[in-house]
Amino acid sequence: MPKRKLDPLPAAAFQILLALAGEDLHGYGIMRQVAEQTAGRMRLGPGTLYSSIQSLLEAKLIEELDAREDARLGHERRRYYRLTSAGRKLARSEADRLADLLRVARAKKILRGDYV
Amino acid sequence: MSEKIYALLLRLFPSHFRERYGAEALQLFRDRIHHETGLFPRLRLWFDLFTDLALSLPREYRYAQASLAPAAPAAALPAGLSPSFFVLAEKSPRPGALAIGGILSVSAILAFSALSRVSTHKPRRDASRETYRARSAPSSSYTQRAPQDASAPPAPGAASQSAAARSSAGETAGAKSPSAPGTSQSSMLPFDNDSNSSEAVSEPRDNGNVRRVPGASKSVLAAAHHRTVAAAIANLNRYYVDRALALQMSAALEAHEKNGDNDAAATGAAFAAQLTKQMRDVSHDLHVDLIYSEEPLPDPVAAPSSAELARYRAAMEQSNCTFEKVALLPHNIGYLKLNSFPDRAVCESTAKAAMGELNNADAIIFDLRDNRGGEPAMVMLLAAYLFDHPEYMYNPRENTSPRSWTQSPVPGNKLADKSVYVLTSRSTWSAAEHFSYDLKMLKRATIVGETTGGAAHSGVFHRLDEHFGMGIPEAKPINPFSDADWAVVGVAPDVSVPAEQALHTALQLAQRQVRK
Repeated sequence: MPKRKLDPLPAAAFQILLALAGEDLHGYGIMRQVAEQTAGRMRLGPGTLYSSIQSLLEAKLIEELDAREDARLGHERRRYYRLTSAGRKLARSEADRLADLLRVARAKKILRGDYV
Repeated sequence: MSEKIYALLLRLFPSHFRERYGAEALQLFRDRIHHETGLFPRLRLWFDLFTDLALSLPREYRYAQASLAPAAPAAALPAGLSPSFFVLAEKSPRPGALAIGGILSVSAILAFSALSRVSTHKPRRDASRETYRARSAPSSSYTQRAPQDASAPPAPGAASQSAAARSSAGETAGAKSPSAPGTSQSSMLPFDNDSNSSEAVSEPRDNGNVRRVPGASKSVLAAAHHRTVAAAIANLNRYYVDRALALQMSAALEAHEKNGDNDAAATGAAFAAQLTKQMRDVSHDLHVDLIYSEEPLPDPVAAPSSAELARYRAAMEQSNCTFEKVALLPHNIGYLKLNSFPDRAVCESTAKAAMGELNNADAIIFDLRDNRGGEPAMVMLLAAYLFDHPEYMYNPRENTSPRSWTQSPVPGNKLADKSVYVLTSRSTWSAAEHFSYDLKMLKRATIVGETTGGAAHSGVFHRLDEHFGMGIPEAKPINPFSDADWAVVGVAPDVSVPAEQALHTALQLAQRQVRK
């Protein structure tokens, strides 16, 4: 099986890693979390969401957990995903990369104000 | 509803994706539907879904394609380096590999088509079809029902004769057998033609189409003969009206076969004629016959389809129901040239109009010289005009029933006491002979012309195989006039003249009669 491209890390994949950084989530939970953390700018559709999950699974950045019910969403059993340590490392390095970019951007006076 | 739509949309994804994530995607969709209510969120949901489809479908298919390529050795993560990704470039196959693949597939296609051609190639069939073509006309009309035969609408004039022949095949029993008249009919089958064409045939056919061919294996012929004989015996025993006679005929067929009497049969038609003779020798029943048809016989003898009926109707309309000429000749002699006895359901009004036109004639001539037969019901309809009381008309095809009497008198009809002349020829067949025979026996008409063809067609037709069939009498109506009817021997004229002179002669007779 060829690997899916994760280098550079797509925005959706990075958001998923970040979403899973807090807690284990199922697909819909990830989608909600991503929407929340991007202030609704990124709503992952099923196709994008699950193909990103597949890539992350293949790269062992996240892992599948046994299906269980989500008490808030009824009795359907859902498959949960958890960030692996490799995934956490990658998310951190990606965040560092973005932070470097931010520093550059700030140095170039592109950013207004001190956000970071 | 919307979930179903989305389930359908999900089918657009490659199978590996659907298998793995289809259920989850649907679940996610349900959750969103459940939580995002209201017009705007719903619109946004569908917008999301379609943009998602547009973005992720191509990606998934690219991936699916790539996954079909041979897997390269998994790239090992360099130890110690925190995560890195190895994306394998999708290498295109080498040109050499492509060339070899192309050659292989082309040769596979060629091999397959060659194989399929070999397995479906049946040259023998076509060859022997051609061989029998010359003789097909008389025998092939045996079983055809009129509507089927009307596929070629008869043109007036020259073609009307064949139209009559076609309609004549529409006997109730469907048992028209031009081969019945024995020698006179067999002479129509050019045996010279047979011997010529037999050389063109390399092998005998395997479906009972039997012929002796130079170099052909005798056992194949014998086996084909045997199948036809066995089928004939089975049908005789099952359907023939007289059980004892059926057993006698079967025994005769078996004995002749055992003696090798059939081995000399040079053609399918000759073989059929031989079997017919063997059966008639024992039963003296001229209504039994076995025929060979070059055209494959329909299996089963199907009722005509509505399309065929429509064709028949159209052909009848075009040919005025084969009432070729209805006229008053000098001296007030009515003349009716009728080339078949068409289906009463289709042509009753035409027939009544024709008879009405001749109602005031002092004598009437029925010209049946080109009439090859048709429906008994039409025979009865026309005959009804010639009597002032119901008259019994013998019909060898049907058991005696109320339909065996004419529906005379016909209201307003004035022809019941006028003299009647019927013109006949050697090709006056079947229902036309029925008409001629009964009017002659009832002394109601003077038959002028030649002895008729002798096609009684009283048997019900039974298909033996693709090319052989037989007429088996299943009924035995009473013939009040004589022991024999016109089967094989035909109807002899009262005034014997060549067919071409029949009209002239009949006119003279009629004029003499009218002047009296």
